[in-house]
Amino acid sequence: MSQWLAQVIERAGNVDDWLASARSKALAELKEKEWPGRRTEAWRYTSLHKVADLNLATTSEATTAEAPQVEGLNSIDLVFVDGRLTSDMTNLVLPDGVTIASLDTKNDAAENLFGQVKPQHHLFGLVNDVLAQHGVVIDIAPNANVEQPIRIVNFASDGVESHQRSLVRVGEGAKAVIIEHGAGNGHSLNTAFAEYDIADKAALEHYRLALHEGEAIHVGGSHFRLHNESKLNSTLVGYGSQLTRLDVDIEHAGEHAFAKFNNIYLLAPKEHFDLHSTIEHAQPNGTTEENARGIIGDKAKAVFNGRIHIHRHAQKTLAELNNRNLLLTRGAQINTKPELEIYADDVQCAHGATVAEIDEEALYYMLTRGIDKQQALVMLNFGFVQELLFQMPNRALANWLQPILKQRFERMMEQQ
Amino acid sequence: MSEQIDQALERKYDAGFVSEIESETFAPGLNEDVIRRLSEIKGEPEWMTEWRLQAYRKWLKMNEPEWAHVDYPKVDYQSISYYSAPKSMKDKPKSLDEVDPELLRTYEKLGIPLHEQEMLAGVAVDAVFDSVSVVTTFREKLEEAGVIFCPISEALHKYPELVKKYLGTVVPKGDNFFAALNSAVFTDGSFVYIPKGVRCPMELSTYFRINEQNTGQFERTLIVAEEGSYVSYLEGCTAPQRDENQLHAAVVELVALDDAEIKYSTVQNWYPGDEDGKGGIYNFVTKRGLCEKNAKISWTQVETGSAVTWKYPSCILKGDNSVGEFYSVALTRGKQQADTGTKMIHLGKNTKSTIISKGISAGRSNNAYRGLVRMGPGAEGARNFTECDSLLIGDQCGAHTFPYIESSNPTAIVEHEATTSKVSDDQLFLCQQRGLDPEKAVSMIVNGFCKEVFRELPMEFAVEAGKLLEISLEGSVG
Repeated sequence: MSQWLAQVIERAGNVDDWLASARSKALAELKEKEWPGRRTEAWRYTSLHKVADLNLATTSEATTAEAPQVEGLNSIDLVFVDGRLTSDMTNLVLPDGVTIASLDTKNDAAENLFGQVKPQHHLFGLVNDVLAQHGVVIDIAPNANVEQPIRIVNFASDGVESHQRSLVRVGEGAKAVIIEHGAGNGHSLNTAFAEYDIADKAALEHYRLALHEGEAIHVGGSHFRLHNESKLNSTLVGYGSQLTRLDVDIEHAGEHAFAKFNNIYLLAPKEHFDLHSTIEHAQPNGTTEENARGIIGDKAKAVFNGRIHIHRHAQKTLAELNNRNLLLTRGAQINTKPELEIYADDVQCAHGATVAEIDEEALYYMLTRGIDKQQALVMLNFGFVQELLFQMPNRALANWLQPILKQRFERMMEQQ
Repeated sequence: MSEQIDQALERKYDAGFVSEIESETFAPGLNEDVIRRLSEIKGEPEWMTEWRLQAYRKWLKMNEPEWAHVDYPKVDYQSISYYSAPKSMKDKPKSLDEVDPELLRTYEKLGIPLHEQEMLAGVAVDAVFDSVSVVTTFREKLEEAGVIFCPISEALHKYPELVKKYLGTVVPKGDNFFAALNSAVFTDGSFVYIPKGVRCPMELSTYFRINEQNTGQFERTLIVAEEGSYVSYLEGCTAPQRDENQLHAAVVELVALDDAEIKYSTVQNWYPGDEDGKGGIYNFVTKRGLCEKNAKISWTQVETGSAVTWKYPSCILKGDNSVGEFYSVALTRGKQQADTGTKMIHLGKNTKSTIISKGISAGRSNNAYRGLVRMGPGAEGARNFTECDSLLIGDQCGAHTFPYIESSNPTAIVEHEATTSKVSDDQLFLCQQRGLDPEKAVSMIVNGFCKEVFRELPMEFAVEAGKLLEISLEGSVG
């Protein structure tokens, strides 16, 4: 066991609130967990030695001022700084059908969601279970059509360890847009886990922006449960930071559910990014489309593990997973593992993974058209991830992200 | 229809019988004394005994791997007898006439009569009956070409320097749990040495056969192809029916020096266990080849037998421009479990590898592909293409794909594709419309599905493999 985890368990003993019974269950599980090493399959390519002896402040006085804004996006912002909700909840103007509550007080929706969607095997998920005292509970009433995005911001400031939790219930036939936005570049550890329950015929548009940089350590997850005929359209955009590890679980718990999941990762030199996605097809007639694309800069390391699990009962499932990667330099590294585990026979499943460098012929073509090499490389490489950016339904968010990602990419090319 | 299916599914294992030959067998159990005695009986040099003991000590510290997608009762390694030899072998037969007729009949039942084999199109057979090699044919013809093809125990006496130089260089004695066990207790196997520039005049083949009850088989094969040489090696197996689970932990090492080429083909049809998965062979095999400059190693396997298969024939592409290939058809039915695939480790520049894996699951079986493609930092311009397709027949089976891709060179290109589907109703309908019965239709569709792999097999194996698949699929259609 690591020194840090021992300390987590000790601190967990001091957390006493209305979620005590759920927390003590998680604590019991956490005590049974071994500290992951190279032989732990889920952490095979991601070393936790930087976390093992971590000793950061667990309280902070930081305020909202530093939290990132998204220009041009008219969203309802719920801002967490170092795990504390700093937005004034009383002044929020909410559209019809939206209820937002803090996790601090007892709440029916929270009771039904806390730890119910997120699989128990995520080590840091359990840490979040026992330590995340603050969070939000978003409840979308049945048949409410909420077009205004709700943005949950997680800002981690230098020298602080923090834990935040989001619980979202999208009622039957309702529509909602949720953005999880993480940021911070100081030496910090932030865990942020979100659980979503999407009822029959409901639709969720979801974004997770894991834009931590520099010395930040960010571990988190977004976990979805899809009921009959529900829809999920999710896009994840990640930087690497010192260590970023995300787990996304999508469970088809009802029939005829549809999930689209796009991921973009853009790793500047020395960053580490690890994404594990698991799609559970537990019911028949489900559809999943997953596309992951990454560009990996010098001495950066990307890990992608995409698992599709089709249960015996889940006939007529259509599932596709595609992972494409570009390594920019010799020092860059990618470890990818698209997995299929299939127990039903009448299904169509495919996965593909590629690792390649830039197409010489395409580059040559552009050079003959008088485009200088650097610019041609940017166009070709960035075009590769931009394709997924164009698929984002929320144009305002895409338009804000596009120049930011492009600038980051140009810097990556210069640093080579 | 379903009656036919049931009948066909209850088909008994064709090669299941026990031949009664008196054997000298060690009492079950494993310790350093057993290894010393084993080594002594085989008259091995001192270094070999020490090598085995080192492997044993490593093995003691290792844990049985649990990461594979297979589930089987734990093997009690102390209940296995580690040596058994047919008694009539005491006074080594010089020709087929001196061989125990009972033994010869065993082979005949299996359809590999040695007399005929001698006349057959240039196939030399090193037949392994339990643990002692019985007869080696065509030895002289091979000797003319300078090719050494003999039991590894004999090679230890005749060519100790060669064996010592290469044994354990590709699969180290502590490589993994089963390889370490094999290194400690291997009884026999084949040794092949192809001198510089020689193209082996015939295809080499070995038939393995597990016979003695409770006897694990620990074969060790070492093939060394010197610069610019070529050899094609065939391995086929079948075993008699019995209830006790039998362990098979073989190690195969291939060394292909500069410009050499080794083609290694396997048809594996060991007893898969009965309808409930009782009995059947545990096949835990370590196979690995090392390619030097411009060398090529090609693994082709057709796996239809065994209760549990754990097998990953691999290539270490160390030399520049070397090539690795893996073609596999794995068919599981009943309660069979297979976790098989390959590892392609690209170290040299411009190395290339191709992986074609076809998995077919029927009945209540589980079939997993597990592969690793690693592009080292020095693998400039390296290229890999992987295709693994799974076919499901019936709704009680499972097909799984676990490909690991690790790349740390920007100029290396890795492509992986996998699909899973079932035999489509449209395909079946089309075939039946043309007058084929459903069984023939499925057999044809599956054969087409496996075509890319069968194409790689030597002629006589391709025929055998096609037939095997057809028999195995009988009654899986509905």
